[in-house]
Amino acid sequence: MSSCHCLMIRVFQCEDTLTGILTGVYDAWDSRLGHEHVRLETGAYEDMELFCEYVQVPPDLDKAGKVLRTIRTRLGEEAYEMIAYASACPHTRKADAIYRMIVLGLRLPDGREISRMLTQPDVQLVFELRRKAWHIAHRYMGFVRFQELGNGVLFSKIDAEVDVLALIAPHFADRLPLENWMIYDRRRQKAAVHPAQKGWVILEEVEEKVLSEFENSEKETYYDGLWKVFHRAVGIASRSNERLQMSFLPKKFRHFMNEFADSRES
Amino acid sequence: MNYHIEQQMNLSQKLEILADAAKYDVACTSSGVDRKNSGKGIGNCITPGICHSFSADGRCISLLKILFTNECIFDCRYCINRRSNDVPRASFTPQEVCDLTIEFYRRNYIEGLFLSSGILGSPDMTMDLLYQTLYKLRTEYHFQGYIHVKAIPGADPELIARTGYLADRMSVNLELPTAEGLNALAPQKKRPKLLAPIRQVRQMRMQNKNELALYRHAPKFVPAGQSTQMIIGATGESDWQIMKVAEHMYKKYEMKRVFYSAFLRVNDDSLLPVLPGGPPLLREHRLYQADWLLRYYGFGTDELLSEEKPDFNLLLDPKCDWALRHLEQFPIEVMRADYHTLLRVPGIGYRAASRIVKARRLGTLDYANLKKMGVVLKRAIFFITCGGKQMYPVKLEEDYILRNILDGKERLRPGAGEQPVYEQLSLFDDPRFSV
Ligand code: SF4
Repeated sequence: MSSCHCLMIRVFQCEDTLTGILTGVYDAWDSRLGHEHVRLETGAYEDMELFCEYVQVPPDLDKAGKVLRTIRTRLGEEAYEMIAYASACPHTRKADAIYRMIVLGLRLPDGREISRMLTQPDVQLVFELRRKAWHIAHRYMGFVRFQELGNGVLFSKIDAEVDVLALIAPHFADRLPLENWMIYDRRRQKAAVHPAQKGWVILEEVEEKVLSEFENSEKETYYDGLWKVFHRAVGIASRSNERLQMSFLPKKFRHFMNEFADSRES
Repeated sequence: MNYHIEQQMNLSQKLEILADAAKYDVACTSSGVDRKNSGKGIGNCITPGICHSFSADGRCISLLKILFTNECIFDCRYCINRRSNDVPRASFTPQEVCDLTIEFYRRNYIEGLFLSSGILGSPDMTMDLLYQTLYKLRTEYHFQGYIHVKAIPGADPELIARTGYLADRMSVNLELPTAEGLNALAPQKKRPKLLAPIRQVRQMRMQNKNELALYRHAPKFVPAGQSTQMIIGATGESDWQIMKVAEHMYKKYEMKRVFYSAFLRVNDDSLLPVLPGGPPLLREHRLYQADWLLRYYGFGTDELLSEEKPDFNLLLDPKCDWALRHLEQFPIEVMRADYHTLLRVPGIGYRAASRIVKARRLGTLDYANLKKMGVVLKRAIFFITCGGKQMYPVKLEEDYILRNILDGKERLRPGAGEQPVYEQLSLFDDPRFSV
């Protein structure tokens, strides 16, 4: 082995999804280069560094599935949830932090302790990202607005900074099992789709144009109007506090909420 | 009652009147139940509850909060719907409430229904209408979202019991903190009459717990528990008296929540006070903070207030105020202090406290760690050491701390005392909200 090789770092560039990152974890581990000689990355790679060798990691359900099972059995559900939520947050170091958290956890006598090791920087980052993703996903559980289309389908658009679709879809699938519904993430051009009484799926590369062709149902305007009436009526004028309202419900969430739109795009 | 007018009214007009009339009830939480959908019908519940919007006053909108009717045979002086007021009246039908609930829920506008009511005809008649509405929602529509319903004092206990098996939460408002206050402003309501349904619900909940222990699938009775509400500042009670009542409600009646509502002068009535500063929102805020200390931080009312010091310091939150009066108990060492001691430190919320306890077993903490865990260092540094060290030299003196804390300007946000801060949003775990 040349001394040069010891300096080299192999960077595994993974797709920015849970599957992508876990595949990266698999490959990095499998490379047997030693943990200090590998790094995981997601996203744009403009700044290539010297002494780094870049390899692309195509997402692989089998590999990701194996890592996933290891996480669940050895590190516990809490760690799994941390990793799943954190992977939805945009952050340059998240894939690497997830990798190192897993490595560290598997070294512990009881891997379940890893989710509480907040003194460890990688765990801390994953913890913070999870908190952020959960926070935002939880808000979307409330702020998503469905419109009823002519064919009875409930349709919603969002524009989220975090990739929340897979985090919120299970909630809506449980809540509205008998409905056909779809939540469209305009920023990522993908959609969570739920046919009545079936499981939900994520469709990638859905163009917004295609979706704008549908008409609303006849009842839609009626209930949309009633909701606006209600929303106005519940506010107490002598306690009016727009700053407070804004801090709980910042502008960025309001775009697709009908009570804040005078004329809503259909 | 003018049925003629009522019939001409469309649903939108009714909704406007009956939502407007319900807005003074402050409870809007949808928390405390975890229920998956059965696979048929519509709806589920998650424990932390969900806010679906915020109204112009900054309060969380979680439930379709309406009165069934604003007709009322009573004449409570503080209430906009009292009999002697000349206001437009309206009543829903059970079908209309079902339509609104289901269609709003499908569109994800709401987490469920909050159904209150004026007294139409008699308490029995009103309670029966509420029951019918819930029955229809739960059995015809298989609605499994959240339902909060009022128990009408004076109604047949049997009706209340049946309704309780369909609801998630039930509430009876105490209205005013003391019986004297009630006599003055709502003479038709008697304290014992208000307490009767509260007692009944508590008893039935206890029985239900036993039933559920025996048969896991026994129907659940008011699974999210009871809540109540008191108007603050309409009558002369001190904070100490109010907190005593709240404490009693939590201990004796296993109340899940007590809500405090700053008095709004909606009627021009000689018996109602005129408050030049408007509704006492800051006072309300302090009561919510203290309430939080009772429920989650192991404080007792008598530690916070006394007959000699009956009111909260409006400039300082109750926990800080307490800490400044007990400087002899500080500083505490974060690496060693037990959970309950940590809870008493200003700037350490209960989540941060439990994170500290878990994390320090696995490694040594420093101030940067504490910050990441949600400790508000600006307040906490005066009261703690970490690894034997202060973050930077501070004095453990009342004046010094007071000056520094008030300089750091606690952001008093009038109206922030509502449940979005303390119940719904606190579950997002935002360190801003730790007391
Ligand atoms: S009973 Fe209720 S609705 Fe009727 S006047 Fe009194 S507070 Fe108002």
